[in-house]
Amino acid sequence: MTAVIEAPHTKRQSKSAQMRKYGFFPGCVAKESCKELFNSTMLLAERLGIELVELTAASCCGASVLNDTNRDIARVLNARTYAQAEALGLDDVITICSTCTGHMRAANKELLESEAHMGQANAILGKFGAKYNGGVMVRHLLWLLIDDIGLDNLKKMVVNPLNGLKVAPFYGCHIIRPESVNGWESSRNPHSLEDIIEVLGGEAIDYAGKTRCCGFHVQLEKEGIAPAMVGQNMRMAKDKGAEAVLTPCPLCHLALDGYQADSAARWGRTDLPTFHLPQLVGLALGIDPSMLGLNKHIVSPGMVLQAHDLAPAHVA
Amino acid sequence: MSFILDIYRFDQATDEVPHRDQVECDLPITMTVLDALENVKAEKDGSITFRRSCRSAICGSCSMNINGTTGLACKTPVKSVLRSDNTVAVDPMPNFQPMKDLVVHMDPFWDKYTRLKPYLQPADKDSDHATERRVSPEDMHKLVAVANCVMCATCYALCPVVSVDPAFAGPAAIAYAYRFIEDVRDSKRKERAAQISDDYLWLCAHCYACSYCPKHVDPQDDIIAVKRATIEEGLTDAAGPRHALVVAKTVKQTGMLHETEVIQGTVGRFNIKGLIKVAPLGIRIALAGKMPPVFLKPVPKVNEIKMIFDTLEAPVLA
Repeated sequence: MTAVIEAPHTKRQSKSAQMRKYGFFPGCVAKESCKELFNSTMLLAERLGIELVELTAASCCGASVLNDTNRDIARVLNARTYAQAEALGLDDVITICSTCTGHMRAANKELLESEAHMGQANAILGKFGAKYNGGVMVRHLLWLLIDDIGLDNLKKMVVNPLNGLKVAPFYGCHIIRPESVNGWESSRNPHSLEDIIEVLGGEAIDYAGKTRCCGFHVQLEKEGIAPAMVGQNMRMAKDKGAEAVLTPCPLCHLALDGYQADSAARWGRTDLPTFHLPQLVGLALGIDPSMLGLNKHIVSPGMVLQAHDLAPAHVA
Repeated sequence: MSFILDIYRFDQATDEVPHRDQVECDLPITMTVLDALENVKAEKDGSITFRRSCRSAICGSCSMNINGTTGLACKTPVKSVLRSDNTVAVDPMPNFQPMKDLVVHMDPFWDKYTRLKPYLQPADKDSDHATERRVSPEDMHKLVAVANCVMCATCYALCPVVSVDPAFAGPAAIAYAYRFIEDVRDSKRKERAAQISDDYLWLCAHCYACSYCPKHVDPQDDIIAVKRATIEEGLTDAAGPRHALVVAKTVKQTGMLHETEVIQGTVGRFNIKGLIKVAPLGIRIALAGKMPPVFLKPVPKVNEIKMIFDTLEAPVLA
């Protein structure tokens, strides 16, 4: 409806192959519940020929929750993370999570746009000898795939095409909204996941739920809310013919994968296997399915993958 | 250039189910959706019903669903939403009961607003008003954005939580709660925080769907500020505030959001009934071979993180 608001620090000139070394912020879910998503990302990076340097001393991004307790805490914690990246000579912080992307970008925007905020952060960071100079750009792996690797190059790397697998994209709120923070693409009509699905040889399903919320952040606040939001969205995808879901966010991955069993009573069975971005890209690029943790899904992707000749049933 | 208005038609007095009318409009696509509707009503079908008044995004009457997204018809040029099949579909706002065509029953929205007691309640209400109540520019600045709210209910219609649980106050009501909670002249901060907490303030899913506010109120930041106010007022004995505070606690202790600790801290370690309710997902996760750590090793230099929390006096779960 409205034009995309140009958010600062979103796109970079494509990095030359030798320079493709990035700071990597995996986020909490990929380090705890779903370690397979971390592993899939590292394997994919190797396949893409890029170097991801994990920021091991980084803290939580704030996860959209720390703001509820204190106005400044998430911003200063993220400034500490950016300072660590700068100290390692890295100007990119790559995330694999929609929520990390949105909240780290929001913090960076505030730091870069306000001397008061940057001053406050550096006054605290100075107590332990750190400083953030404002030289970091926070980007999602999804954007890196398109901006730095390029869809044409990605297409050339596909060895295990998805054979028309019908995939519903599910963006996850914080990689698209608010546009003033993200702004890489239109939040109303995003297209990046569709582009990736098609390059991998799948068919992207269009449905109204793709930009809606999975309910992850309120799953503990009141019973039944997250399953209802999951059911509503998965119903729409299923009715449009989807066989699987692709999301750039581990939180959406966990909610969509985990709550379809609970939503079945109200929304009917949907049973859509939900892939995290590096899992599906990794599969198409020929990484062994068992290494991508496809056997750790709650809704097993085995049948769907077998039907499209993508993986033997026992590994997924 | 012509286009087609694809209009939702329904009359609760006579119709069992809605139907649609496709009306060919030989009109410039630079006009607004509202002007197109006005034209169709005047020239072709006087029975088409919609709310409108000011035609300039001040009265907040004409919010509707336009090609799948909600917004003010008077602020939306046909050109900006025209689909490749040259059609503009107009529907009543979602999350409301349709009444007639594009008009909906607004009662639940107004009820939630009324419950706020949306008027100033100063402590010196009964004094003789010998002096004016002064507000500094800084304090007034906090209220400027929310003062632009025209209560068009676009945010309420777009809210995914309202769509699954109509008990949730919705973004506009919480933004108005903020408007009074942050007003230095008001004396009912705690009462207001308690009232909006009871209307499920903490059910906000942080999805930023309300960032499509046509008046740029963007209630999300107000919602976060109201949550902080409820914690400041000591209203922490509920899943929402406990969740925020236990996340803060685990980040301070380990650097990470410690999932298993957060679940226990939010539900309550001794809340057996509550823990049983969240158990099915945990069991499914375990059966799928995922093993979220029960004990988490702190990240390197976690003392720096503690220092940041302490310097900012950021609250954590006790």
